[in-house]
Amino acid sequence: MALSASLNAAEERKPSRLGRVLEDRLPYLMVAPAILILLLVGLFPLIYSLIVSFQRITMTENDTSFVGLLNYAELFKDTRLWTSLGHTAIITVIALPLELLIGFLMAQLFVDRMPGRQLFVALLVLPTVISPIVAGATWRLMFDVRFGPIGQILSFFAGEPVRILWTVNPAYVYPAIIICEVWQWSPFMFLLLLAALSNVDQSQLEAAEIDGASYLRVLRGIVLPAIAPVIAVACLIRGLDLVRIFDIIWALTEGGPGSMTETISLYTYVQGFSQFETSYTAAISFLVIALLTLITTLVLKRMELAR
Amino acid sequence: MKFRTFLSTAGVLALTCASAPAADKDAADTAVEAAKKYAGTTISIVWEAGLQSLDPLNYSGPQWEKLTGIKVKVVEVPTDQMFTKIMQDFKSGAGAYDALNVIPSWMPDLARAGALEPLDKYADKFGYRDELQDIAAAYRDNQMQYDGKIYGFPDDGDVMLLYYRKDIFEDPKMKDEFKAKFGYELAPPKDWKQFDEIGQFITDKMAPKVYGAGFFRTAPYPQYMFQERFRMEGGKFFNADTMKATVNGDVGLKVFKQMVAENKFMPPGVEQWNFVDNLAAFLQGTTAMTISWPPYGRWAAGYGSGEEALKWVPKSQVAGKVGYALTPLGRPELGVGFDLSVSATSKNKEAAYLFIQWLNSKKTSLERVQLPYTLRDPFRLSHYASEKYRALWPDAPAYLDTIKTSGEKGLLDLSLLQQDKYDEAMTKAISSLWAGEDPKAILDRMAQQFDAITEKVGIENQKAVYKVWAAKPGAYPQ
Repeated sequence: MALSASLNAAEERKPSRLGRVLEDRLPYLMVAPAILILLLVGLFPLIYSLIVSFQRITMTENDTSFVGLLNYAELFKDTRLWTSLGHTAIITVIALPLELLIGFLMAQLFVDRMPGRQLFVALLVLPTVISPIVAGATWRLMFDVRFGPIGQILSFFAGEPVRILWTVNPAYVYPAIIICEVWQWSPFMFLLLLAALSNVDQSQLEAAEIDGASYLRVLRGIVLPAIAPVIAVACLIRGLDLVRIFDIIWALTEGGPGSMTETISLYTYVQGFSQFETSYTAAISFLVIALLTLITTLVLKRMELAR
Repeated sequence: MKFRTFLSTAGVLALTCASAPAADKDAADTAVEAAKKYAGTTISIVWEAGLQSLDPLNYSGPQWEKLTGIKVKVVEVPTDQMFTKIMQDFKSGAGAYDALNVIPSWMPDLARAGALEPLDKYADKFGYRDELQDIAAAYRDNQMQYDGKIYGFPDDGDVMLLYYRKDIFEDPKMKDEFKAKFGYELAPPKDWKQFDEIGQFITDKMAPKVYGAGFFRTAPYPQYMFQERFRMEGGKFFNADTMKATVNGDVGLKVFKQMVAENKFMPPGVEQWNFVDNLAAFLQGTTAMTISWPPYGRWAAGYGSGEEALKWVPKSQVAGKVGYALTPLGRPELGVGFDLSVSATSKNKEAAYLFIQWLNSKKTSLERVQLPYTLRDPFRLSHYASEKYRALWPDAPAYLDTIKTSGEKGLLDLSLLQQDKYDEAMTKAISSLWAGEDPKAILDRMAQQFDAITEKVGIENQKAVYKVWAAKPGAYPQ
């Protein structure tokens, strides 16, 4: 009796005004620490580097005065910067479609279940688990003119010594980088596309087969539309990775010969950590962020993934 | 009377004996004695990562701890990151490093920034001035001071030497044929024309078993060879009045063209060779001549070949067959080197100083330059003269004499404010050279880059630093 009375009293007791406010805001209060930490580790460095980009900080001088947009104005005069962006674009534009194509073809081969499929898939994705700097160093040895197996294989087929200076000769240096890049990252495309292909509606494929549709027709009409979102995401991820490419090139050519394979990441590194132009490097980084944001927005819009 | 005489004699003797150790005390002992009061502390020292670090890790660090009770923490840093790490530590004021290894061409930047502790007062306090006089003049006069103050003790006798195969050069048949063809004796080349003729001659006679010569060609090494040849052919880096770069004149063009042409009588793929590729080729007997730093000479003689740490060095096939000579035109590049300095932000400055004085002292440094696995090379007059060192292998006396002469005639590396930027421009230019780009276009671009760097640093600032550098006897051949 006493218990039911007290329960009734509790039900009837209305929460205080402060209690209601707390109750309303509780979710926000709960996530506030996480947001605060995110702001500290994410936003603060961004804002700080933006401030740095308006200053005159180099590691060897004590002058840290504000220079306004001077560093940004310098960017437009810096031909090496624009050339390095050009090199980045060349590598991205060639490597990305190749990785997509090879990944897709490999996925097509493995989409049907077969004995030992899992083992083969595991072996195929091995390159992606290697550190890019190790991959680059390994390919540097592979391309070595004296001891590298590639030269020896080519010599075997040519019937005479073939000595290609892969990392020195301008005609071969881009192929060398792209071979290494495609070798390492096509399996990534393969994995994503294999998952996507495995989920294509089988009934549609069977219906198409009964109707006698050609392979290309099936591909164009059923398979590609079904896996298009995955292709878009895969291209976006790999595209952004390619724009940031550093390790493989560093290990293979260090941006050489001369500055012939210097990408924007390498140039940023050289400016920041070899030439100690801290403020100028911050300005370069913001230029790259702006360019990437623009390109990503356009790509997402085009692929209708932004929704 | 006799008793008094005995007493006075005994007294004099006792005093003499008591004071004898003090009088005989060298800089190493002084440093050890003074450092004992810091027993129990730990000092950190920045050292080049890898082979070089085996010295403080395995040898000098443990010894110092045994002698003084001071622990040494070795901070291994790759060469190309050492400047950055030192500056980062200084700018942040963290004081993470006590003692430093500094490349001499960085000294103007580091000293101006205030990252290095001036060492004069310590050198006076701990009686090190005298022993500094034993350091070969090339290093002592050029790699120790900035703006009249001591900021580092030269600790590595880096200088380029020409190594050649005595057995080939002294082969009677080769000698006769060579003389008949060129009209002079087959001997270490005195100039680059002779170098080319000898190199081509040996390649024609012996390739593919042996090629006339081989060089390291990948960054950053060839820029030191360019600096040497360019100046020896009469080139100047800048117009001293305007600070405009003058590297793209006729001399630069001549040197660049010669460097490219020489690859033709060197082994295929030489354009890709780094320090180790070149070392391996010479030690395996594939090349008859090469130019490099002093360790090549020790390793070619087989010195230290049993060391675990040197397993990566191919076993020498040419031990006993290697001759040492000055590089063509007789003024070799000193090429990098290392100084020992104290960080301005160190919390243990005196302890750090005492450690570097002990390391650098006559006694300790002689032991250190004999460590087969590290890359510290003789840099003191007493090193060159050391009977112990000269007995290490049959040709060691000739080796040490050549290092000594090379050091005396050595050309200084260009050392300006923000020198790294000029070095990078040179390195990139030479890399473009191997890719077949037009030498004139490369030189023009390099000159433009030099000018842009100078402008950014400040023409007047740089002019003043260049003037001091160019006035040194080792800057331009007199």
